Amino acid sequence: MKIECTKDNLKEVVLKSNRISGKRLSLQILNNIFLKTEDNSLLVKSTNLELGIEITIPVKTYSEGEVVVSGEVLRTLLENLKEETVIIEHKKDSLEVSTKKTKTLIKTYPDTDFPTIPVVSSKNDTILSSKNLLGGLQSVWYSATTLNMKPELSSVYINTDNGYMYFVATDSFRLAEKKIEVKKDICVNEVLIPIKNIPEIMKILEEMEREITLSVDKNQISFSDTHTYLTSRLIEGNFPDYRQIIPKESLTQLIVLKNDLANSFNLSQFFSDKFHQVHIDVFKKEKKFKISTKNIDIGENVQYVDATISGEDISLNFNYKYMQECLQSINGDSVSLELSGVGKPVVMRGCSDKTFFYLVMPMSK
Amino acid sequence: MSTDTKKLWGNVLTEIELNVSKATFSTWFKETYILKEGEGIIYVSVPNTFVKEWLHNKYHSMILRSLRNLTESVRSVEYTVSREELKERKDIFEEHKMVVDKLPLNDLYINKEDNLNPRYTFESFVVGPFNELAHAATQAIIKKTGMVYNPLFIYGNTGHGKTHLIQAVGNYLKSTGSGKRIYYVSSEKFVLDLVSSIQSNKTNYFKQKYRKYDVLIMDDIHFLSNKEKTQEELFHLFNYLYDNNKQIIFSSDKHPNYIPHLEDRLKSRFAAGMIVDIPAPDQESRFAILQTKARMNNFSLREEIIDFLASAISSNIRELEGVLNSVIFQTQLKGRELTLFEIKSLVKDSMKPKRNLSTKEVVKVVANFYNIEEDNIYKKTRKKEIIKPRQVIMYILREDFNFSYPSIGEKIGGRDHATIIHSCEKVKNELKTDILLGQEINQIRALIVS
Repeated sequence: MKIECTKDNLKEVVLKSNRISGKRLSLQILNNIFLKTEDNSLLVKSTNLELGIEITIPVKTYSEGEVVVSGEVLRTLLENLKEETVIIEHKKDSLEVSTKKTKTLIKTYPDTDFPTIPVVSSKNDTILSSKNLLGGLQSVWYSATTLNMKPELSSVYINTDNGYMYFVATDSFRLAEKKIEVKKDICVNEVLIPIKNIPEIMKILEEMEREITLSVDKNQISFSDTHTYLTSRLIEGNFPDYRQIIPKESLTQLIVLKNDLANSFNLSQFFSDKFHQVHIDVFKKEKKFKISTKNIDIGENVQYVDATISGEDISLNFNYKYMQECLQSINGDSVSLELSGVGKPVVMRGCSDKTFFYLVMPMSK
Repeated sequence: MSTDTKKLWGNVLTEIELNVSKATFSTWFKETYILKEGEGIIYVSVPNTFVKEWLHNKYHSMILRSLRNLTESVRSVEYTVSREELKERKDIFEEHKMVVDKLPLNDLYINKEDNLNPRYTFESFVVGPFNELAHAATQAIIKKTGMVYNPLFIYGNTGHGKTHLIQAVGNYLKSTGSGKRIYYVSSEKFVLDLVSSIQSNKTNYFKQKYRKYDVLIMDDIHFLSNKEKTQEELFHLFNYLYDNNKQIIFSSDKHPNYIPHLEDRLKSRFAAGMIVDIPAPDQESRFAILQTKARMNNFSLREEIIDFLASAISSNIRELEGVLNSVIFQTQLKGRELTLFEIKSLVKDSMKPKRNLSTKEVVKVVANFYNIEEDNIYKKTRKKEIIKPRQVIMYILREDFNFSYPSIGEKIGGRDHATIIHSCEKVKNELKTDILLGQEINQIRALIVS
């Protein structure tokens, strides 16, 4: 195999595929990336057995072939080269990377040992905006649990219903749901993507084309555009029926500026205890609520935040981290909080944004 | 997985381990096992699709060769991706849980594909004299699905275990991995499905959906009375499944002949297989049920308490479970065993509600039931069709409402207390031989309570 291409193009695909490649030591071959020529283009693939990626870039091909090399070594090399174009040639058991002024040999591995990337065979592929998909994932993924307790909770749930695609994640202490509008005929049924694959999926999605194809079968999901094919394992299981726990009515409603709330929580983090507890007291008459934190080792802090309040005065404890995290996903200037008392979740959402909502459980102590 | 397949796969793995590197082995083979085998095909469970593809592309011939060396009957190997095993990491979670309440997310307990509730199994089903016939019928069905007793029609009052029994059949067939497509549906869901399919112009889809199952279990069929279009659809569905030797199981609270407004062609089809009745559990069965349920909850009860509960709650197993649950809960709350007196007060509300009915109302219900004029009961007529209802009234007033003999006599047309005693005895004696009379009285009792 011998090809010639621009350094930047090659660097980009090596970078992407190297991110996916396995960092597990047990099977050496997985730490590498696979290169293969396909009539005037180069196919680069890698996998960590959770995710698999295949990217093609246009190259000038002198001779066909395939090779497996360490992605890490190739990446470091390419980042340090100054020249514009590189020539890559497979010679016996090494890969020669040469530019006008440099020449490097990298050890190769037998290409027959490199695993194949599963192809998702789905009857109906879905065409989607990558930006929407990315937005959906970004709005909720932080709410999933990274503990391996329940696989269905350490995942992001995607489902379509009546012209909307729903993204949901929960760790059973808080829950986030985002919906995006899609064409009515789009149908993705109850898919659970493992949370540990989500950061990489989001990174790849960011760089994909405007429209991508989504395919789902029983065990795999894939995202593809003309150059990139990304596939992830799916989790088998049933996501809890979360709709039934959304409170229908509340005792107290607060409307508060998102910035005010974010600033208060920024300060709270220094004075909260190891459980990140904040105490919230709502004073309807004064049109404000109090956020107080206390840490026996450091000190105490009290803040008053202006708000539009309806309903009853109420006092509750929360983990401020849970509330803080959702603010990034809320569009608009103001946030509404609907409180219903001890043991009942609080609903948070943007006042002008109907597509996102967030549930947080109060702390009982 | 049986020990045989475990051993077989163990041998295969040992052989493969010798031929590949250690890292390769631990990556690709470690978490595999034989799911099942049948007709020369070995189904191997793998953790994910990557492994599935790779075993298939790279190691398929090696696996097949090793398997053939060990057992010659193996023709091919299939790979299936199985659900990953849960790793218990309770410790971290516990600490967290202390301070933050959890969202009350309930697990979706019911499997969406077949609608079965895994709670209902034969292991938790108590067989007694009252339900052994029904149980035996289901066992026969399990052995020869679709071939014997098709359809099976189980009927009995609420809380007698119909749903448990028919779902247990589904769960059992599922667990044997026979590959049969099983579906459990309540009649209400069936009706809703049909209605929505008509609304959205997708009746074909509806037909296809139900026709693809090998075992169709339909609960509470009596709700179909008066729903003509649904009955028609069920009729066609029934014919299709029956002709293709697919097993159909129905449950209802009445014998098909007594379900009002049910088309005759359906009635006769229901009767074509086997109709079994689950009557109310007898005292011994109730005793056994309580014992089993208590054991399942890791709870021990004194015999006299079980005995008391079994006799206090006579007809409904669901109520029996409810009372047992409250006994368990109270015991945990108080941290000691409950006394019989406490249990009595606990059970008080669960016992048959004895509403203070006037004699008149009872007379009215019974007269209506037997379709005679109310006045005739009070008259001195000795017509046969009047005497029987009159005696039934006396019996019910005595047994259920604890009226004294003289007061019954006084209220039913000024009769002597000896007459009443005689009537009650007579009904009592007849009940021992006449099953029909027992059923009638039970129905009357139900009418009175409602």
